[in-house]
Amino acid sequence: MSAVLVIAAKDLRQRFRDRSAIVLGFVAPLVIAALMSFAFRGTERFHISVGIVDRDHGAVATAFSDFMRSPDLKDVVTVRTFDDETSASAHVHSGAVAAAVVLPAGFSAAATTGSGVSHIDVLTNTDSALGAEVTRSLVASFVNQVNADRISVATAIAAGAPVSQLARLSADASKLRVPETVVNLPIGSKPLKAVSYYAPSMAIFFLLFAVGFTSRSFFSEVNDGMIDRIAAAPVRASSLLFGKALSVLAYGIASLATVLVVTSVFFGAEWGNPVSVAALSLAMVIAVVALTALVIALARTDRQAEGLSSIVVFGLALLGGNFVSISAAPPLMRRLALFTPNGWALRGFVDLTTGARGAGVVVQPVVAMLTFATVVGVGATLLSRRLIVR
Amino acid sequence: MTIVAIAGNRARRILRDRISLFFLVVLPILVIVIVGAIVGGFNKFQVGVVDLDHRPLTTALVAELSHSNALDVHQYTSVETGKTALRRAEIGTLVEIPAAADARLRSGKSVAIVAFGERTNSDQQAAVAAVSSVIAAHGAIVQAATFSEARVGAPFDAQVVIAERVASGASSVTISTRSVDSKSRLLPQGYSYSAPTMLVLFVFINSLAGGAAMIRTRQLGMYERMVAAPVTPTEIVFGETVVYLAIALVQSLLIVLVGALAFGVHWGDPLAASALVIVWALVGTGAGMLAGTMFKTPEQSTSIAPTIGILLGMLGGCMWPLEIVGTTMRTIGHIAPHAWAVDAWTSLLSRGGTIGDIQRDLIVLAGFAIVLLAVATRRLRQALAP
Repeated sequence: MSAVLVIAAKDLRQRFRDRSAIVLGFVAPLVIAALMSFAFRGTERFHISVGIVDRDHGAVATAFSDFMRSPDLKDVVTVRTFDDETSASAHVHSGAVAAAVVLPAGFSAAATTGSGVSHIDVLTNTDSALGAEVTRSLVASFVNQVNADRISVATAIAAGAPVSQLARLSADASKLRVPETVVNLPIGSKPLKAVSYYAPSMAIFFLLFAVGFTSRSFFSEVNDGMIDRIAAAPVRASSLLFGKALSVLAYGIASLATVLVVTSVFFGAEWGNPVSVAALSLAMVIAVVALTALVIALARTDRQAEGLSSIVVFGLALLGGNFVSISAAPPLMRRLALFTPNGWALRGFVDLTTGARGAGVVVQPVVAMLTFATVVGVGATLLSRRLIVR
Repeated sequence: MTIVAIAGNRARRILRDRISLFFLVVLPILVIVIVGAIVGGFNKFQVGVVDLDHRPLTTALVAELSHSNALDVHQYTSVETGKTALRRAEIGTLVEIPAAADARLRSGKSVAIVAFGERTNSDQQAAVAAVSSVIAAHGAIVQAATFSEARVGAPFDAQVVIAERVASGASSVTISTRSVDSKSRLLPQGYSYSAPTMLVLFVFINSLAGGAAMIRTRQLGMYERMVAAPVTPTEIVFGETVVYLAIALVQSLLIVLVGALAFGVHWGDPLAASALVIVWALVGTGAGMLAGTMFKTPEQSTSIAPTIGILLGMLGGCMWPLEIVGTTMRTIGHIAPHAWAVDAWTSLLSRGGTIGDIQRDLIVLAGFAIVLLAVATRRLRQALAP
């Protein structure tokens, strides 16, 4: 046991003496998480300013302005009023408002009496497609009842109701209410903040680099005769392997823990229940240890180890969603992410930060990551046995 | 001639290295595909739908939601899986159409359709607003069909067909959208976003990582051996510059070609695009050579280079458009040459810009290139001096 610890301590000392390991394990994930939290501050909420040009000044136009200012919409929309279309148009053009609604003269009359046709223009800007769409949807929802009553009368007449009954039909239709209503219910989840996604995501991405420098350092030790000298001492081969694995484990845990503490304290990242976070982190680090063993078993030289680990690091990071949030990815990519340990870890971290409950939230990703580590570890063992036999 | 020999030798060493080829060719294209696929869906609300009824009226409602230009609809078999997707931000809202909705609507009763979404989450509230208008429009048709059925006595389904036909002509209030400008300040969505930004990101990262090759050359004592031969330091510096520039240009060309042929990216005015590619390759060359003279070991270069590359890429708008971050962050972002390059690509791809429109960006980038190359050659010459 002491040999294992001595070897692990020696590897760790070497690692921390090499500044690149400190940059990758501690500085880089923190700087990038900080940058992301700063960049996305205040941009995580969907909020638009909408301009209104009221040329009607009637009751329905006022009701529309009140609707846009209603408490239900205050988190989504801020209303600005403009005297004329030119001014509104200029503000839409500059991006000061996402869209502007022009209520024409005669709007209230058309809406209340059902006579005449009124045309609402929504002025939009090429760069705020979603803002324009939300504005259009809100206008459409507001005028829908008016239109529904007109469509009801027109349908009845088209289906054969006598035109002479138009007035009665209109009066009857005006008492109707659209039968499909939308009820907005919460599900009790917390929003997924950018920093809460990218803090673990970047910590894991840079943790994967440990595969590269550990495997490279193994081969340089082989070249320097260090491994031979350790083997000449009364140390079993398994102690050597466990010692090296332990150093990666310790480095990985230290790196993840540092990112966790700093991003929680300084950048407002919410990682979730500490025990669950620890379980996910440990499983991820174990997967990294197994991947390191695989690269060492597959490579013959330090250059090969470097190349293989680069492919492993970037391949896993891309598939697992460390670069771009996997939440927004097409379903196929989300499924592919579940073939990677980092994809599972990120899913676990997302579930924790968004307030998912139940033991399954952590158990499933941990089991998946440990299965991955076992398969990769067994593969590495079989490959290295073959090497020794040869 | 000596310069060509030095450059040729270095190029052969790099091309023989399969790892370099992975970073030069495979990785950038993979990233373009993945980022392009993800960003492609950003201009629509992702909406989940659970239809617990599966009858004609509810199926028609799901079809209406799917046809909406603002929505990208994903169907779920259970409310629970839908809620999980909503919590993970895979969708912006989840619409639950209740069982027996069809029967209730046909009998003139109203149906409450639940749109799940947190009240405090404005992303989700915006998605709820978008689905509400589609549901309301469908409700108007059902209202008309029920009304007409009661008045005329014809079958309900026939009334639905009539209501759909008269709907557009019978509206009291019509809505139309009018764009006040056609010139975008953002890159187009999808591959036209990922290809130029990843070109900027990867040409720079690869050039930086290329510094590792220079360190190996130094460690192998090749510079000393070259200086011992009748080769001047200027020729060596020139040879190195040529090879770095050539690699950056080849990689850019590959990304441009793959982008254009496989993903249909229109790179804009050819003259302006070529000038931008060349100036950006020069910036990369300068940065790579500087890295080669500054880092002590290849390990430092391969670990610190991607970190710096990713950081500058983030600052400069390669990972997300600088238009969406605050003004301070946008100003700080222009410390990175990347921001000027992305600005120029945006002008070419989104606004049909010509070389005159990106003149300022090109001048700034050329300034970056000159400073980086000057410092790098000075350091390399100092290192080579006897």
